[in-house]
Amino acid sequence: MSAVAEPPGGYFGRALVVDVSDGSSTTMPLPAQVLRSYLGGAGLGTWLMNELCPVQADPLEPDAPLAFVFSPLVGTPLTTSAKFAVVAKSPLTNLLTDALASSHFALAGKFTGHDALVLTGRAETPTVVLVDDTGVGLVDASEQWGMPAAEAEESIRERHGRRWRAASIGPAGERQVRYATISHDGRHAGRGGLGAVMGAKNVKALAVQGGKRVDLPDRSAVLAAAKDLRGRSFGPATAKYRELGTLSNLLAFNAISTLPTRNFQDATFAEAPKLSAEDLAESRSVARASCASCTIGCEHIYASKGGKKMRVEYENVFALGPMCQVSDPDQVLEASARCDDLGVDTISAGGTIAWAMECVERGLLDATWLRFGDGDALLRVLDEIGNRTGVGDLLAEGSRRATEVVEQGSAAFAPHVKGMEMPGYEPRTMQSMALGLAVNARGADHNRSGAYEADLAGGADRVRGTAEHVRAAIETEDRAAIMDSLILCKFLRGVFTDPFEEWADLLSTVTGWDVDGAELHETARRIVLAKRTFNLREGWTRDDDWLPERFLDTPVELGSGRTATLPAERLRAMIDDYYAERGLDAEGRPPLATSRREPTP
Amino acid sequence: MLDSVGPAVGVVLAGGRSSRMGTAKAMLEWHGSTLLRRVTGVVERAVDGRVIVVRAPDQRLPELASTVSVREDPEEGLGPMQGLAVGLAAAAEHAGTAFVCSTDLPFLHVDFVRAVLRGFERPAVEGGPDVVLPYVGGFRQPMAAGYRTELAPTVEKLLEAGRRRPAHLLEECHVTQLDDATLLADRRLAGVDPDLDSVVNINEPADYRAARDRPAPEVTVERYGVLATRTGERGRRTIRAATVGEALEQMRLTFDGHIVAAVNGDQIGNDPELPLVAGDSVAFLSADAGG
Repeated sequence: MSAVAEPPGGYFGRALVVDVSDGSSTTMPLPAQVLRSYLGGAGLGTWLMNELCPVQADPLEPDAPLAFVFSPLVGTPLTTSAKFAVVAKSPLTNLLTDALASSHFALAGKFTGHDALVLTGRAETPTVVLVDDTGVGLVDASEQWGMPAAEAEESIRERHGRRWRAASIGPAGERQVRYATISHDGRHAGRGGLGAVMGAKNVKALAVQGGKRVDLPDRSAVLAAAKDLRGRSFGPATAKYRELGTLSNLLAFNAISTLPTRNFQDATFAEAPKLSAEDLAESRSVARASCASCTIGCEHIYASKGGKKMRVEYENVFALGPMCQVSDPDQVLEASARCDDLGVDTISAGGTIAWAMECVERGLLDATWLRFGDGDALLRVLDEIGNRTGVGDLLAEGSRRATEVVEQGSAAFAPHVKGMEMPGYEPRTMQSMALGLAVNARGADHNRSGAYEADLAGGADRVRGTAEHVRAAIETEDRAAIMDSLILCKFLRGVFTDPFEEWADLLSTVTGWDVDGAELHETARRIVLAKRTFNLREGWTRDDDWLPERFLDTPVELGSGRTATLPAERLRAMIDDYYAERGLDAEGRPPLATSRREPTP
Repeated sequence: MLDSVGPAVGVVLAGGRSSRMGTAKAMLEWHGSTLLRRVTGVVERAVDGRVIVVRAPDQRLPELASTVSVREDPEEGLGPMQGLAVGLAAAAEHAGTAFVCSTDLPFLHVDFVRAVLRGFERPAVEGGPDVVLPYVGGFRQPMAAGYRTELAPTVEKLLEAGRRRPAHLLEECHVTQLDDATLLADRRLAGVDPDLDSVVNINEPADYRAARDRPAPEVTVERYGVLATRTGERGRRTIRAATVGEALEQMRLTFDGHIVAAVNGDQIGNDPELPLVAGDSVAFLSADAGG
C-alpha cells in the first residue's frame, strides 16, 4: 500500500505495521478523514485497534496488535507535545487500554515518517525491533533480556548508536505480569499491562530513529503559537507541578479525606506528613527534570537513603505508601524504584498488594508475612510479583483475577474497576470522580476521566453525586479525550481559558484544517464512544461500569464529622444520566452509527 | 431521580421590620459580608443541604450563596409566624424537619444547629417531637429551633385564627425543650460555644456595635503544597477570622482561580464570604489537582 499523497500538516498520513515474527512490514494509509476524526495518540490508537485487533483476541496472543501512536503536534515546538500513546487490548482488563509517555521516543518515532508504529506477531527469541526512516530490522535481545528497561535502553543505544531512542520493558513485562509497563527514559506507559503485551511478542524494546520532518502549512504561525503557549506555561496554573510536583497532592488529599489508605479502608493516613512533597522537598530533593519539548518540568527527583535518585509522583507514593500503610519514606521510595526496575505499574501493584494485605489480615490468604505497614514485606512481594514467584505469581495477575482464586468474598474489597486497580482518589468523597472511575473505558483510571477536577474545584457537593456531577464528569472526559489525542500534557490544562476553542486553533494552525471548538467537542465524543465500541465487541456489559462493593456499602467520615456515602442507587442514577447524556442506550451501548460518524476534511 | 434531599432544611426568616435597629438587619455588614449571608451560611453548613430564606414582599436582600433559595411572605407585618408558615411549607418539599431561625443571630454556631436537630433523633414522646426548642438562660428560643415541616398547615390555621405568636403554636405541639445543661452536654458544642451565644440576638444599634466589636472566632488555618513551601510557612496557625476571606487575607493569599479552601476537610470552594465559626480549621489548597 502506498502513503496518502498529500497528508494534512503535522501528519505523514500512514502507519507502519510490523510483524515481529519475521520483520516484514506494511504501510497502512491513514486517510485525512480518519486523522481529522481521531487526531492522534489515544484517539487514533483506538481507531487502529478497532481496525486491526481481531475480535475477542487474547491480548497476549501473537495477532493482538500493539500500537505506538504519535500525533499532529509531535515535532512542533509546542510545549509538552513530545508525547506518544501506546494502545492495545489490555491483558489486565481484556478491554481497550491506552497509556501515554513522553520525550525523545515520540520525536524519533514520528520522524521515521509514520503517525503510528504497530507491532504484531511474536518473535521466536527475545528481540529488539529497530525502525528508522529506511525500514525495519530485528536484532537479538538476549543481551538485554532480564535488564530493567532503563538499562536495556542504554544498552541498545550503546550498541546501535546514540540517535536511537527505545521504549522497553523490564523483567515484569518479559514474564507477562498483567500490569507490566513500557517505559522510555524513565517515563512509563503505565496502565493496563502494555508491557505484558510486548513481552508476549518476545520484544524487549522498540527502538526508533529518523530524519523525516512533517510539513506545516504556516511554520511561522506555529512558532508564534508555541511562543505564546510557552509563556503561559510559566504561569500560576502550572506552579504546583513546577515547584513541588504531583506529590503535593498527598498532604492536601489527606486534609480532605480523599487519600486512600489501607486498601480504601480509610480516607486519611496519620503518617502522611512523612511522605509529603513538602517534607521530601526539604530533605531529599536533588533536581528537577523535564520531558523533551516541555517547559513545565514537573519531575522532581529525590534521593533515597542509599543515594539512589528517582522520580517520584503522587500515584507511586499513594499506592506504595498509604494504601499499604507504609510510612517510611526510604521504603516507599525504594518500592517505587523497584517498580521502575521491574517495569510494573505502581498503581496496580500497590492496589493488588494492599488487597492481598487485607486478605492476610482477614485470614483469607496464606502469606502471613504480608502485613499492612511492613515495608520489608512490600519490597519482598514486589520482587515476587516481578519474578512471578511465591504469592507474587498470583498477584501478578492483578486483583480481579486473584479474587477468583482466593474467593471467600474477597472481590468485595478488591480495588479495581474492569480489572484495573484504582488510582489515589477516594470515590466516596469525590463523587464526580466515582462516576468517572465507574464508566471509563480503560477501567479505574484518573487520566482518562479527570473528573476529580470538578470535585476539587468546589461548587457542587463532592460527597453527594447529582446530575451536575454527571455533566462535570462528561466535560472532563471530553477534555481528556482531546488532550490525549492531540497530544498535550494535562498539566498544561489550567492555562487554557476556553480549551476547546484554543485547542482547535492550535490544531488548525498545525494541520491547515479549519477546526473549531464545536468540532473538537464532537471529536471528543467520537473518541469516547469509539473506545466503548471496541469494549462492547470484546464482551463489555453494563455490569462492568460499576464500583467495588466496599464503596457502596461502607461510609467514610470527613473531618467535619459528616459521613460520605455512595449508595448503589445513587451511582446507578448517575450512570443512567451519563448514558443518556452520552446518547447511549439504557445498557450503555453506543448507537451503531455514532462512533463512525466522521467529518469531511 | 438523583438524591439531593438532605436530612433537614434550614429556614432563615429575614422579613422582620428591624424597626428598633433602624435599618434592615439582613443587610448589616458583618466582617466584610452581611449578617444574613453569615446566618444562611452557618445554617447551610449545619443542615447539610438546602436553606430557604423567607423575606417580606419585595424586600431587598444582600447577595447570598447560589444554593440558597428565597420565598416571600404573602403579606407583610404578620410577624414570624407568617414567615414560619411559608418557610415550613417550602421546606416540606425537601425534608421532614427544619431548623428555623431569625436573621439577627451573629454568633449562631454550626454545632448549635446540629445539637438542636439531634433533638429529633432522641424523641421524648412517641413519634418524636414536633418542635425541638432551646430554652437558654430561662428563655424559650422559638427563633432558633427545630420544627417538623408538616406543621406548616397548623401554622396557617393559627394565623387564620389570629393567633400570631410562636407561643400559640407551641401550645398545639409536642415540644422537646433543650435547656442549657442539656445543650452543653454536647461536648463539641460546649467546647466552641460554652456561653450559648448562638442565641444572642441583636435588636438595636448598640447591640450591633457591641457584637461587631467582639473578636472574630478563633480558627486554625494551614496552607498546603506550594502555598506553604513558597513562604516557608508550614503547619497550622491559629488566627481570628469570621469568614474564609478574612482567613485568606491574613494568610496573604487571594482566590486567583488556582487556590481553593476546605473548611474542616469538608466542602471545597473559593467563596470568601463563607462564614467561619469557632473551632473551624481551614485548609488552603492548590486548585490544580491531578497526577
